[in-house]
Amino acid sequence: MASHPPSPIAQEWIDEFEAASRRPLPVRVRYAFIKTYRPVLDDEPFRAFDTMEDYRRWCEAELPDWLGYGRF
Amino acid sequence: MGAFEYRQAEEIRDAFARHSVRYLFIGKSGAILLGFPDTTQDADLFVERTPQNGAALVAAIRELGFDLTSQQAAEICLGKDFVQLKNGPFDLDLVFAPDGIERFADAWSRHVDVEGFPVCHPDDIIASKAATNRVKDRESLPRLRAFRDYWMRKRSA
Repeated sequence: MASHPPSPIAQEWIDEFEAASRRPLPVRVRYAFIKTYRPVLDDEPFRAFDTMEDYRRWCEAELPDWLGYGRF
Repeated sequence: MGAFEYRQAEEIRDAFARHSVRYLFIGKSGAILLGFPDTTQDADLFVERTPQNGAALVAAIRELGFDLTSQQAAEICLGKDFVQLKNGPFDLDLVFAPDGIERFADAWSRHVDVEGFPVCHPDDIIASKAATNRVKDRESLPRLRAFRDYWMRKRSA
């Protein structure tokens, strides 16, 4: 498992983490999960891929770049 | 279909417990359960790949209302690396071999219980996203790593 040494955290992020930690779990979930239509990705009710590599390649070949599923 | 709701997370937890499914919340949905403030669309589950667990998983997700053909059920039982379900009451991604994590047992040994929800340790969530190397993950990783440090400090305080 990859790890890394702790580093200074931006105060803005600490404030966000603190605010989230004060919210009950159901509220955190309500704020976090959104639903927007994603072309192609949302157009089939079921997909299964033999390997993760197959899935990644499918994403790169089929999904619009702006969805962000492409790899560096 | 609307956004994933807390009630549906509870339904997953309860149905999977009834069927003794071995799984962990992973990805950004797992991070959100740990307290990470961000947004996502899907619930991502890392499921242990064994024949017994696959059969239990199919029974549980059918109970949740997912409409699976016998072929789709067989593909889940076989433990394909990645299965995307949009044929039920909410979207669900089943991951049997996440990038960056060697074995389910390793992740399970490090997992965190969040009010009854089994969740991957933040280090595993980060390892998985880092290994995937997608544009959308690379953008969120610095903030997720900062959250991991915050979470660890708070946990040890």
